[in-house]
Amino acid sequence: MTRARAAEEHPAAAASPRRGALEPRLIGVFWRRELTRWWRDRSQLFSGFARTVLWLVILGFGLGAALRDIEGYTYAQYILPGVITLNVLFASLQSAISLVWDREVGVMREVLVSPAPMTSVALGKVLGGATISVIVGSIPLLFTPLIQVQLTPLRLLSTWGVMFLMGMLLTSFGVMIATRMKTFEGFGAISNGVILPLYFLSGSIFPIRGIIGGVGFLDIPADLRDQLRDVGIYALGGGWVVQLPVWLQVLVYLNPVSYLLDLMRWALLGFRQLPAAADLSVAFVLPIIAIAIATRMMNGMRRTH
Amino acid sequence: MNVIVCDGLVRHFGDVTALNDLTLSVEKGEFFALLGPNGAGKSTTLHILTTMLPPSSGRAEVAGHDVVREPRGVRNAIGMVFQEPALDTRLTGRENLRIHAALYAIPRRRVDAVVDEALQWASLEEAGDRLVRTYSGGMKRRLELGRALMHEPKVLFLDEPTLGLDPQGRRHLWESIAQLRGRGLTVVMTTHNLAEAESCDRVGIIDQGRLQALGTPQELRHQVGLAGDATLEEVFLALTGRGLRDEDAGPRDRLLAFAKQGGEHTG
Repeated sequence: MTRARAAEEHPAAAASPRRGALEPRLIGVFWRRELTRWWRDRSQLFSGFARTVLWLVILGFGLGAALRDIEGYTYAQYILPGVITLNVLFASLQSAISLVWDREVGVMREVLVSPAPMTSVALGKVLGGATISVIVGSIPLLFTPLIQVQLTPLRLLSTWGVMFLMGMLLTSFGVMIATRMKTFEGFGAISNGVILPLYFLSGSIFPIRGIIGGVGFLDIPADLRDQLRDVGIYALGGGWVVQLPVWLQVLVYLNPVSYLLDLMRWALLGFRQLPAAADLSVAFVLPIIAIAIATRMMNGMRRTH
Repeated sequence: MNVIVCDGLVRHFGDVTALNDLTLSVEKGEFFALLGPNGAGKSTTLHILTTMLPPSSGRAEVAGHDVVREPRGVRNAIGMVFQEPALDTRLTGRENLRIHAALYAIPRRRVDAVVDEALQWASLEEAGDRLVRTYSGGMKRRLELGRALMHEPKVLFLDEPTLGLDPQGRRHLWESIAQLRGRGLTVVMTTHNLAEAESCDRVGIIDQGRLQALGTPQELRHQVGLAGDATLEEVFLALTGRGLRDEDAGPRDRLLAFAKQGGEHTG
């Protein structure tokens, strides 16, 4: 056996190296691991396409046939950022929740007994989840010719940027949930209990401040449309004005995903419903706070009490 | 020279005392087995020694480092093979080993050589580029054992290393473990397999969180007044007056059962 001899010849190899909390190599290894695992599980890629076709093409054109437009955008165009968000939600939470598995029967126990800095492992995981989010979130962009949205390089880059920030926020959020979960028997609870509420309550499939039923016979005159927009109500074809119930509005405003989605719609379509300052501060501040908390919670997996 | 020192280790989980005043030491190069039924405190002891769990009171040292105050020193000095495989089944054997190399900061230029050597040691050269999910239980264990040795630990911990293996896999793994003798490596394992304990230098018999007896297999027989050809099982029965106990399924067992049904997949 040569190992014992190797140890004598390279005493430095056996000595414990000095290690800080941030180790680019370790971040890279865990980032790559996340991507490799995702790529080898083709069902996730398939789900990404199936979801896009269902929501963007079938719902988009189906409901779009009944609703004429939202602020001059077709319904399919209106929900494009929402469908991207849905893909980001699934990709990031699925990647994060695998931590439950990892901790009980996977590689995470091996990480716990190793001298590796957990902060780097956590960062690799979150950045990996965010990268997968950008990839899966880009699937609906392949359908833009079909729904007639022009993608300029600037629009594309800023949309990817928002996807990445959203991916970091949601992967971190998923990691927080995962470190608290004792057991894990399927993704159903996360899907129905976390992903879909965040999706529906983000202004993804109906405008935030108000809906105008679009099945009327008369078009709203342009000046009335402008006046309505001034008070924050977006006209949708012709018909009656319907405000969202207050409780629903409150939930939408409380959902951080609403602001990121609004920012993405601004990037992609040039149309925004919330204050730009709110969108930008949520997009840039919240992911950083979330990563800090998620990293702390992963550090807490090494029990100290 | 003692590589492991436990002094009055106690661990409570709520009202349950999993480990009660455990004191023992293990010498450098020794093969040491902790023998006892399920729930006796074997895994708790191992978790404390590997810094995964702090003791409620008492102290422990591994390779000269205190497990609570200098966990990183301990972690650098130990290798661990868990009761159930701690592998990423969607990665290949080689990819799993490369993750280990990064965790232990093995210099990049040596990684390929160290990974190849570990695969060779585990007799998995052919299977190294296959996904771990296609491995048999025995192959996974050998991969983990090879992995645990990659960073040249001073102490190797094995938690029920042959549990769940078929007789052939058990023998193959046991032969690999036996090869480690004479390399100056200290090995601590938990087991409820008496034949395995029999071939260790010293055995600690643990039950209900207490160390009931400690010594070479031969000494243990004398201690309880049995003939030299008595089995450790008889020693165990004489000491504790009972056989193995069953435990309720915890959340972890349910997860494992779920894994057996269909694997990780979450779709």
